[in-house]
Amino acid sequence: MKRSVLSRAAETIILLVVCFVALFPIVWMFLTAFKNPRDAYDISLNFQPTLQNFVTIFSNPWNLGHALLNSTIVAGATVLLSIPAAALAAYSFSRFRMKARKSLFFAVISTQFVPAVVIVLPFFLMFRSLGLLDTRIALVVVNVAIVTPFVIWMIKGFIDAIPLDSEEAAMMDGASRLRVIRDIVLPMAAPGIITSAIFSFILTWNEFLFALILTRRHATTLPVALTNFRTERGDLWELMSAAGVLITVPIFLLALVIQKHFTRGMTAGAVK
Amino acid sequence: MADIRLVDIVKKYGDFLAVPRQNLTIEDGEFLVLLGPSGCGKTTTMRMIAGLEDITEGQIFVGDTCVNDLPPKDRDIAMVFQNYGLYPHMTVGDNIAYPLKLRGMSRAERREQARITAEKVELGPYLNRRPAELSGGQRQRVALARAIIRRPKLFLMDEPLSNLDAKLRVTMRAELKHLHHELGITTVYVTHDQTEAMTLASRIAILNHGRIVQLDTPERIYSEPADIFVAGFIGNPAMNLIAGEIRGGVFEAPAVRIPGLDAGPSGPVVLGVRPEHLRIAETGPIAGPIFANELLGDSTLVTLRQRGTHICARGPADFRRELDQPVSFAPTPDARLHLFDAENGNRIATQSF
Amino acid sequence: MRDRSLQYYLLVPAFMIVVATTIYPLAYSFITAFRDWDLSKQRRPQGFVGADNFTQALSDANFLSTAWVTAIFVVVSVALTVVLAMGLALLLRRRGPLHDFTRIILILPFAMSPALIGVSYRFMFNPEYGVIAKGLGQVFPPLAGIPWLADPHLALGVLIATDVWHWTPYMTFMCLGGLASVPRATEEAARMDGASSLRILWDVILPQMTGVLVVVAVLKTIFALKMFDQVVTLTGGGPGVATETLAFYVYKVGFKWFDMGYASALAWVLTAILMAVSAGYVRMLLKERKMATA
Repeated sequence: MKRSVLSRAAETIILLVVCFVALFPIVWMFLTAFKNPRDAYDISLNFQPTLQNFVTIFSNPWNLGHALLNSTIVAGATVLLSIPAAALAAYSFSRFRMKARKSLFFAVISTQFVPAVVIVLPFFLMFRSLGLLDTRIALVVVNVAIVTPFVIWMIKGFIDAIPLDSEEAAMMDGASRLRVIRDIVLPMAAPGIITSAIFSFILTWNEFLFALILTRRHATTLPVALTNFRTERGDLWELMSAAGVLITVPIFLLALVIQKHFTRGMTAGAVK
Repeated sequence: MADIRLVDIVKKYGDFLAVPRQNLTIEDGEFLVLLGPSGCGKTTTMRMIAGLEDITEGQIFVGDTCVNDLPPKDRDIAMVFQNYGLYPHMTVGDNIAYPLKLRGMSRAERREQARITAEKVELGPYLNRRPAELSGGQRQRVALARAIIRRPKLFLMDEPLSNLDAKLRVTMRAELKHLHHELGITTVYVTHDQTEAMTLASRIAILNHGRIVQLDTPERIYSEPADIFVAGFIGNPAMNLIAGEIRGGVFEAPAVRIPGLDAGPSGPVVLGVRPEHLRIAETGPIAGPIFANELLGDSTLVTLRQRGTHICARGPADFRRELDQPVSFAPTPDARLHLFDAENGNRIATQSF
Repeated sequence: MRDRSLQYYLLVPAFMIVVATTIYPLAYSFITAFRDWDLSKQRRPQGFVGADNFTQALSDANFLSTAWVTAIFVVVSVALTVVLAMGLALLLRRRGPLHDFTRIILILPFAMSPALIGVSYRFMFNPEYGVIAKGLGQVFPPLAGIPWLADPHLALGVLIATDVWHWTPYMTFMCLGGLASVPRATEEAARMDGASSLRILWDVILPQMTGVLVVVAVLKTIFALKMFDQVVTLTGGGPGVATETLAFYVYKVGFKWFDMGYASALAWVLTAILMAVSAGYVRMLLKERKMATA
């Protein structure tokens, strides 16, 4: 059906506005990151770009390199611990019709809805008595708690979409169940598993509450380090923006790399 | 090589009884087709033989061993799936050789075997392709090659041709038949296509509601259907099934009066006669106005209708007559008429003219 | 068959993680909720005080104001997100270069760290040099100099804006997924029957989308109830306590006032609310699935 020029124009304008609204805060942060302190307090676009802010945040007293390292290690370790366990559980939930399946799955999924602030209280007390406050280990443990149920759900969505035929064919060909998982399911689910891995990396990377409560200096991650730029002299916006760029660029790159799967993966668990 | 025996097999899904107490022996080397409409339990039966489905009650024997508790991998059965079940992440060669890999065969030997098998099904040039790069017919051949590369005790084929286009199906049918002849491996083949069943089978088991209604050679299933269901299911165009009454050897129904039948007990019966056993005649025991003419090329299907009963006959290709004009059918000299019990549908008698 | 045991073995690693990291802490905080424990004075939990910590909440003006703020936040943010997401999904259902580009762009707000979103909105809404506050003032002079984050209502508004900005993309993708499963044929049939686009939306598309929309709304409710990061980085709960949500208040009681018993009790109130909402959600999910397979 042909649509009128007017409705096409309206649609284009709306979409342009949507893009503008979605991009503006990000673009503004990127611009600010390249301004010198004086320009940062002016909304003019006419400024002399500088890389000084990035040099500053990596040097004393900010030393964001350390937080960057923490964020990378914590997010990486969380992914490495949660994905293998989640993939096996997701396979079991997807393929077996066990009696307790519904209630077990319900139990796993409902933990996803437990507010982080509830879990962090006992963890804080526990880590305090174990002397693990302000360590990366503590952060990895709590992040694994939050991420694993979510990833089980997500990977299950991907495995559900794999037809059973190839698996049954492999069993007829003489493969044991574990062999089927190794030779057939994991390779076929690889795009989904990688997507889930990147997804949980992003979740952990952006995580704020645990890092805020469980770390002080040694194990702080980037989102918490942001709050350091709120000083007695006021907020140092140009440095905050530079740190913001540091936080977002790796995540944006990851998200765009997997964007086709990303949109599917985000909703796979929830709708299907 | 061995025969397969199903003893008192029952399959339930919760409260739903999919297969009620089935007994079936598949003889060594035969090509047995399980035929029936969708939902008749034929695929479930096959999957229980494969070990992909648990058996609720009963036992399955391969030779003398009960395989109930053996996982599929230990049953030495190969299967071709309706959707082929290929491994999308492996090349054609690796797909075909996978069963050998699982049996610990060396890489070089595997490659050689895969090459030989691929030649046999005309896949030689495609060994390094991925399944996604093949046509439907070629994928089918990969599935076939993967099944025949090892010599299993039994082949299972679950509607293997149903995803192919009509022309390819005919070609593959012939190839399957040839392959069975060449390898001589016992085969169980599930289909809902009666032509496939008739052409391929050494015996056909016709299933309805999970029960085997008739188990026989294609010839006998065609010429002596056990009941109305089989009679109506086998044959294209379908057998005319005319509900009427028999009294003193005379069958009567709207538009039909056929005398001279063996005088059995009187009462309501269903008369079955195939369209190819009726010819167009000047006068005949069946008469009525023409409802439809359908030219098939080598013949014309002529249907008459009288008070809700449709009766179809195969007439000459050059038959021409306006609709609603009267027409008469008479049995051909080799015609076989079947009488079925109107109550339970079982065949009472079959009679030649 | 060996599968019978294997299906459970496969679950063991994941369940060990879930039990150790969720069930155990939940149980621990549940017990703490019935005890007296001021962490600034006592190293170990003190005696059991029955339901005191829970009854305390009922007479705690701070808690009641927090609950009120949370309720407003949840209702407005969920309503806005669902409407925007559904509208956007209807637009993005068509294909085209701009549509595809928008889809990609939408990933960015979702991938951005919520803490950082709070920071960047705080910057943009600063009345002296924030690009939005100042920009608005230059375009509409009456809006100049509005102290966005110092006004209780406006601050809550900005807080909601950050949440809607962050979550609308995700919900849009969910709606798009739902729209994709609405069969084209029903729409085309309605068009052949002479229905206008608006009627088709109302009579054909939306009725088939109710399941997905309910799921979207409930999921968004859960996320909104848990929202915490932006409160810290955008408003710090202020001005006064005008933007203190339940999750933030639990944090404040526990980690600023160190009243572990009371904080645990409050945390369990929040958990109970979330459990109730999520139980409804999971039930709907199962029903959805049944409908889908029917």
